[in-house]
Formats: sequence, structure tokens, C-alpha cells
Amino acid sequence: MNTHDGGADAPESREAERPGEVDAVAGTPDAPEASQPPPPGPATVEPRTGVAALSLRYRIGAAVALAVVAAAVCVHLGMVFLHIAPSNTVTKAHGKAIDEWIYPEFEQNWKLFAPNPLQQNVAVQVRAQVRTADGGSRETGWYDLSAQDGRAIDGNLLPSHTQQNELRRAWDFFTATHDDDNRAAGVRGTLSESYLRRIVVLRLERGGAAGAGGAVERVQVRSRTTNVAAPSWSREKISTDPAYRVLPWWSVSDDEAHGGVQ
Amino acid sequence: MNRFAMSASRGIARVTGTAFGPYQSAVVRIGFAGTWLLFLLRELPHRAELYGPDGPWSWSLARRLIDGNGAFTALMWADSRAWFEIVYALALLSAALLLVGWRTRTMSVLFMVGVLSLQNRSVFVGDGGDNVLHLMSVYLVFTRCGRVWSLDARRARRADAARARGEQVTDRVGPLLWCVTGFALVAVTASGRLFEGEWTVPVLLWAVWAAQAVWWLVGRRAASSEPRILADVVGNLLHNGALVVIMAEACMIYATAGWYKIQGSRWQDGTAVYYPLHLDYFSPWPALGDLLSASGTMVMLVTYGTVIVQVAFPFTLFNRRVKNVLLVIMMTEHAVIAVVLGLPFFSLAMIAADSVFLPTSFLRRLGGWAARARDGVLAGSGGIPRPRRGEHEPAQAREDAEDPEAARIGFTP
Repeated sequence: MNTHDGGADAPESREAERPGEVDAVAGTPDAPEASQPPPPGPATVEPRTGVAALSLRYRIGAAVALAVVAAAVCVHLGMVFLHIAPSNTVTKAHGKAIDEWIYPEFEQNWKLFAPNPLQQNVAVQVRAQVRTADGGSRETGWYDLSAQDGRAIDGNLLPSHTQQNELRRAWDFFTATHDDDNRAAGVRGTLSESYLRRIVVLRLERGGAAGAGGAVERVQVRSRTTNVAAPSWSREKISTDPAYRVLPWWSVSDDEAHGGVQ
Repeated sequence: MNRFAMSASRGIARVTGTAFGPYQSAVVRIGFAGTWLLFLLRELPHRAELYGPDGPWSWSLARRLIDGNGAFTALMWADSRAWFEIVYALALLSAALLLVGWRTRTMSVLFMVGVLSLQNRSVFVGDGGDNVLHLMSVYLVFTRCGRVWSLDARRARRADAARARGEQVTDRVGPLLWCVTGFALVAVTASGRLFEGEWTVPVLLWAVWAAQAVWWLVGRRAASSEPRILADVVGNLLHNGALVVIMAEACMIYATAGWYKIQGSRWQDGTAVYYPLHLDYFSPWPALGDLLSASGTMVMLVTYGTVIVQVAFPFTLFNRRVKNVLLVIMMTEHAVIAVVLGLPFFSLAMIAADSVFLPTSFLRRLGGWAARARDGVLAGSGGIPRPRRGEHEPAQAREDAEDPEAARIGFTP
């Protein structure tokens, strides 16, 4: 949740202590609408809508509503601001209260291509160990699933989330919940492993990797990270040699191999 | 001191007596409902993979995550394929009905339920566009966003006209809808599923449902009765508060995006825009990306311009003219992003959020054009009967009739 400076947003606070106008004090108790000496300000208000048309009891109700709404708006905007702001004195002291207000429904992240845009193409690749129809075992070559996504996106005015986000974000989720030795951190780590495995198995089956009558028994995932080449007009030297991160082989359970969407 | 008290009381009178920005809230409603509707239609072939019980992010994986974070999603109430299809269909339907403004308040609640149900079910397939929609779907529930450009507004006009002729107008659909949603709420609550997670959304559902009953009851009284006026005041307050939140949220999005970029070395050296154009996942038209980044000077200008516009935007709200110029620039940039980076729904959502800042005069002109276009289409196809008298005045008169200052309290605000 740590983000950078959110900039300027001063939520306007409009305190509403006094529900009505001056005429509430006027002589006749039960004639709030009739203000014979017209006070310059409120007189412009249309008489039959808004607080001006209400008696004191209802004005108090309106004032309470105003105070509640104003307070809710201010608190909410303040909380959202602190949520998206970088770690600071206030968020360090009240981080728990902020999280309780924000999560789960108001979580947000607006670090759009910031502080730096991603400058690497990360491709997720998979190979499988397949039990063939005749009972033998066979290892496939590497399938570049991200390249498949890329081809699906090329020339596409309406890329699907399945092409643009599913695998890409699943890999992000995996790397965020695993250390450099690919050890899972907590429940989310194991969830991300299952998720990634189910995605790659689904893609392998769609691609017919197991062949007729075969079944995927184990899969291995790796990422291939390549720097985006420096612009032609730049004098920068950037290596575009790929770097690999290879995960251990994973066994595919029966429900993972045969479940999944068609 | 006295002057301060006076302007404060005038401000209170306005904020309680008026629901501001009728056209702006309507265009935001149409924008987000339309974005979500198009998205759901786009993903119709992929719906099971993205949100279905047997998708890669399976129901049981989602169960374990949601047990931890308590997010609201109707899709966790049952793990059957049929239930998933029902929820997806309801999400589609509520988006379409919110778009046209039919029973706007109820539809805005169902719209929120649809958005949260699908998005919270599979949080790892979303992007920034989903995030904007998620927040705005909640904020929209609090607004009176159906007072113009909606079937509700037309119904209110017709009811007024009928009353003026001395006819009695009874609304049966509203109470019926209320009974149906109430029945659903009771059923889900009784099954213990509604309050499984966080209470925020379930409480909101019940609160809106109860508020509609109160609204209906006070609406049966004379227009000048105090409970009815108080209800109207509360409705206005909630609407205005939500509108402030929507505007501030848009500002915070730009402020965060902009101020963060300032710290990035690539935004400083003026090359940042080059990189997204060369990512495989965000370059549907590689040749176009190459063309746009062919000149280092151009890339630098766009890079700096993006940061300047994003950082500056919240401050330009103090000056109408500058604000409008920036608004045009940002909407154009998002339209470009939609195509060049292949992010159509993110861009649509951002444009919908931006449009809360569009000037009323422009929106009314837009409404006039739309009405003329519609009339042209209707007149062109002879098979459709001409609208009844009173609905077919020139655009200007119709807009006046829709003017919310003149609008009265309807059953569905």
C-alpha cells in the first residue's frame, strides 16, 4: 500500500453547526417560514425546498445529516489520501486504522507507469512432462505463453483480460509472494502457485501439448526477462540478453489436469 | 463575522436544497455503466475463464483468499456454474438498465453488486480500469444520477403531465422491485452468506433498501410536508457528498500518477513514454509505437507534457477555462492510450471519470445533439410510431423540462 506523494487535495470541510438562519429566534414559535423583516441572505432561498421550509425539529435532523455526510466525506477522502500517499508520519502511527477503513473495497493504486515505467519484457514459459497414450513419458519443449498473449493482442482493438492481464498478473502475484529461492511466503504464496499452475495447464491443454490420449503430469515454469532496447535516438547502452528465472517442477494433480474451463 | 454567518447559511441552503451537477452525474452514470456493459459483452466468451467456478482462479482458491480479506462477492454464495451464469447475466442487465436510467437507484445498487461480485471474485485479472470502476460503482449508489437523460426522468415528466391533467398516477413497478430485492436480501441474509465477510457492503444494501421504503412512505404525503422535504434534503446531501468524493477521487488519481512520475528517472530524462510502447503486452500496433517514438524530442515533449498535465490538473479546477483545456488534453490522451496501448476499457473508465468535470453548457449541447440524432433516426425509420405530443418538442424545450431545478421529487430519485 505504500505509494508516493498524492499531491494536493484539501477536502473541503463545511461545518454545519447552525441548522437554520436567524429567524429561528424570532417571536412567534410556530411560524418559521414567515420572516417579516427579510434577512438579506436566506431570503433568496426558494421557500418550499431545503432547510428553509422546515421547522426547528426537522432542521436539527437536517443539520445532523449535513454533519454526518460532511464528516464521512472528509474522513473517507482523508483515508484514501493516506492510503495512496507514501509511508509517512501519520500512516506509520495509524496504519491499522487506515487499512481497516480502506480494505477490502476501497483499495487502490494509481502508480500508473510510475515512478518508472516497466522497461523489461517478462515472458512466462512452460514445459511439461506428459504421460502419453501408450503409457510412456515425454518431455515437451518450452512454450512461450506470453508470446501467445502478445500475438493475440497484436492488431487487437479490444484485448481481453485473459490475454493482457491473466498470465502477466499471475506472474506478478507469484513473484510478489515468493523469495528469490522461489519459497512461498504465507497463504498467498501457495495460492499464487496453484493459480499459476492452473493457468499454464489450461494453456497447455488448449495447445494440445499432451497429444491425443496423453495427460500432463508435471510442469515447469520459467520467466524470460529481456530489457527493452534503448531508443534508436538514445546513446544509452542496454544489454538485451535475456535473464531466466526457472521454477522447480510441479506435479499436476488430477483435478488440475482435468478440471478447468473448456 | 455576520457576513461569514450569512454566507455559511446560504451555502447550507444550497447544499441541502440542490443536488448539484445533474448532467455531470448523469454522464458519469452513463459512462461507467457503458464501460462495464461493453466490458462484460467483450468478455462474454471468456467469462468462465475469468470469473467462473472452474477458471484458473478457481472457486476454492478465491474462497481461501476471500476468507482472509472479507471482500464482498455474490459469486462466493454458491460454487455452481448456474449461479455464476445468473450473476453474470444480472451484472449485464443491471449495467444496461443503469445506462438508460431505469429505476436508477435500484439499478445503481445492483450495478455495484455486479461489479464487486465479479471483480472481487477474481482480483488478479483486473487492471487500473477495473479499479476505477470498482470505486465509482460504490460512489454512484449515493448519487441522484438519473434526473436527466434517463427513463426515470421521462417517467417523472409523464407523471407530472398526467397529474396536471388531473389523472391519478400509481407506480406499481417501484414497490414490486422493492419487494423482490427485499425478498432476495432476506433470503441471502437468512442463509448467513451476506454477512460472511466485511459488513460495509451488506449494511449498505440493507440501508438503501430501507431508505427506499422511507422515501416511498414520505412521498405519499404532500410535497410541502416536512418529512418529505427532510428526505429530499438528505438525498441532496448524500448526492452532493458523493459528487465531491467522485471529483476528489479523480483528482487523487491524477495527483498520485503525476507526483509519482516526477520521481522516476525515465520521466526525468524524457524517455518514459518510449517504454510502454515497446512492451509486448501493451503494443497492439508495434508499427504505430515505433512511429510515435521515432523522434526523441517528441517523446520528451509527450513525457513531460503527461507529467505536467497530471500534476497540474487538480489545481486547474480553480479556473474554468484552464480546466477545460486540460480536460480536453486528458480525454484525448486517454483515447490515444485506448488504441496505442491496447487499454480500451481502462481508457473508457478514465474518460467517464474525467467527464464529471465537463461544463454543463457543453453537456446540454451534447444532450441536444443526441436528442436530435435520436429523433432523426426515429423519423427515418417509418415503422416506429411518432412519439406522443409533449415528448417531441424542440431540444431546447425538452432540456428545460429536464432541468432538475424544476424537477420534483419522484419515487426513484
